[in-house]
Amino acid sequence: MEQLQKGEIVLEAKGLSRAFAARNEKGLFAKKRSVHAVEGVSLTLRAGEVLAVVGESGSGKSVLARMLARIVVPTSGELFLRGNSIDLKERRGTSYAGEVQLILQDPFAAINPVRRVRHSLERPLLLHQTPKNELLARSHEVLASVSLTPQEDYLERYPHELSGGQLQRINIARGLSVNPKVLLADEPISMLDVSVRLGVLNLLRELCDTKNLAMMYITHDIASARYIADETAVMYAGQVVERARGTDLIDQPVHPYTQLLISSVPNPESLEQRHTGTQGSTGVAGFNVNGCRFSPRCPQALPICTTNEPPEVDLGGGHFARCWLPATAEQKSAVALRPSTSSAKQQ
Amino acid sequence: MSTTDNPPILEVSEFNVDYGYGDDAVRAVTDVSFSLGQSKVLGIAGESGSGKSTLVYALTRLLRAPGIITGGKATLRLLRQENDLPFDLLNATEAELRGIRWSQVSIVMQSALNALNPLQRIGKEFNEVLKLHDTSLSKADRKARAIELLALVDLGPDRLQRYPHELSGGQRQRVVIALALALRPELVIMDEPTTALDVVTQREIVSKLYELRQRLGFAMIFITHDLSLLVELADEIMVMYAGRIVERAPATHLYQAPRHPYTLGLMDSFPPLFGERVQMSGIPGSPPMLKSPPTGCAFHPRCAAAHDRCREESPPLVAIEDGQRSVACWLHDPTSTHEVPVALTRRHVAASEAN
Repeated sequence: MEQLQKGEIVLEAKGLSRAFAARNEKGLFAKKRSVHAVEGVSLTLRAGEVLAVVGESGSGKSVLARMLARIVVPTSGELFLRGNSIDLKERRGTSYAGEVQLILQDPFAAINPVRRVRHSLERPLLLHQTPKNELLARSHEVLASVSLTPQEDYLERYPHELSGGQLQRINIARGLSVNPKVLLADEPISMLDVSVRLGVLNLLRELCDTKNLAMMYITHDIASARYIADETAVMYAGQVVERARGTDLIDQPVHPYTQLLISSVPNPESLEQRHTGTQGSTGVAGFNVNGCRFSPRCPQALPICTTNEPPEVDLGGGHFARCWLPATAEQKSAVALRPSTSSAKQQ
Repeated sequence: MSTTDNPPILEVSEFNVDYGYGDDAVRAVTDVSFSLGQSKVLGIAGESGSGKSTLVYALTRLLRAPGIITGGKATLRLLRQENDLPFDLLNATEAELRGIRWSQVSIVMQSALNALNPLQRIGKEFNEVLKLHDTSLSKADRKARAIELLALVDLGPDRLQRYPHELSGGQRQRVVIALALALRPELVIMDEPTTALDVVTQREIVSKLYELRQRLGFAMIFITHDLSLLVELADEIMVMYAGRIVERAPATHLYQAPRHPYTLGLMDSFPPLFGERVQMSGIPGSPPMLKSPPTGCAFHPRCAAAHDRCREESPPLVAIEDGQRSVACWLHDPTSTHEVPVALTRRHVAASEAN
């Protein structure tokens, strides 16, 4: 197996979109409508790096992960695995699944409750043509990599005998058993007890570093994204509205939606700011609005926001925002949007 | 607030709840005592299985078999009660309970979708409860009151005609909150009302609750696993672990200067939004199985500061710092010779000093 360089692009998506049929207007000849759950998302997953995708429920982040895992077929867009174009029309074979693995949110639902852990770990290995005499050694190896030792204690257990954190580790171990290059983790900690979340998060980061995995970490918790990610992308109504390297996104948010997200996080450090309420926060994600999808909720919307779709603006240093505020000449208003502490330095 | 002179609205002492009988019994809540002042907010924090929901279900007598209250006292003192007598929650008959449920004590559950009848328009939910509890209201009055209640949570009167599935999660939760307030209760219990919601929606709901409480002055018990949310909302916080209270303190004290290693661990489990990125560890191990709880202090297998005594004896909840707070940890025992970790000795900064 050839070794990947750290930072090398493993999985690349260009303009991925997925539309679902929406409820039609009544009547036989009514126009058919569709909703774009994901629209025009381009991203790259690099070896040894974590890309965090943050968004509220319904923003399309899970559909995106399923498209990358090729469980959901995109309506349009391209996918490249290590530079090779993938024919999305074709059935996904085990070779693709062997490279890209998806880990789901609920470990209690993901693992067969009537089978022992051993069975759940060996299934993917058998499907991927692992010789029978290697199964046990391989199971031990993956359990060790998720710090579940001694392994014998876990292999013969049933899922109900394990805690949520342990089960999620087994879920991760199962994903790793076929030696994938890409790990897509869809809200891997949101169902877990608060005190064990950080442990699983640290494990994911460690796996990413030691195994040189390209990882996508999907979450609605922007603080955990800041903790783990090399790059963070914010999704709103099916589009990536802002993305940046390191902690830039949270330290210097440009898009009003990112700012809203950050200001909504409970923050006991600044109690004087509490209960000031959030502006323009009511309403549901606008999938079928003209112009910027966030414009109906945006407190800083310009006239152009409601008519034209905003371009993706390069703010330098790998920081991009899909917003008219930095795009228009009114650069000043965009800068004024930034939180006061960090914006001064940015200038 | 002037109401502080009044006796507490809810007083609980030595409260115990089991699941199951005899040898199979699992103790879910052990020796819980607390009191809640009029118009105060008590936050209960804890992980799943810590007994926080069981506690309030048992207190409101909503607990179903095999849950049994095995001991303790719980007294409710309502200001609006005609006869000003304390209400013994645990010995009340079903009829007596019916007299206080919803009208005096109401509860909001985690999943608003499950709390609302999916086959019924929102308006009917309001109509039903108002009709049952206040026979003097005419149909028009009830509708007017429902519209007024919806306005309280920033929803328009058109919502009365909607079914629950036509509303978003946040709107549904707001309808449930409006319903809970329909009969002007003196005590509202919130069982993880925002856990299933997005952070933006959570912010809206919490701000709304804060505002409503200021305006209507009801007392509140707010249950969540998110300690930082509680710090914003609660006057006092109670941290539960394996069915016991491990620490109880005013919200800012608890946040700035935790005394129990578990409280400290819980706070270190939330990565910060600001500052340097540093490696954090959370709490090692997993929450205990209540079926076979550890000996001594239930937290000792996961505690870095555990010593022999922790393995043998369960620490009682004792008042420290002039009775301002209570903690159940041998480290804070006056006879203890063990060194208290630095992180657990921090001083809190009073709000007035901070500015």
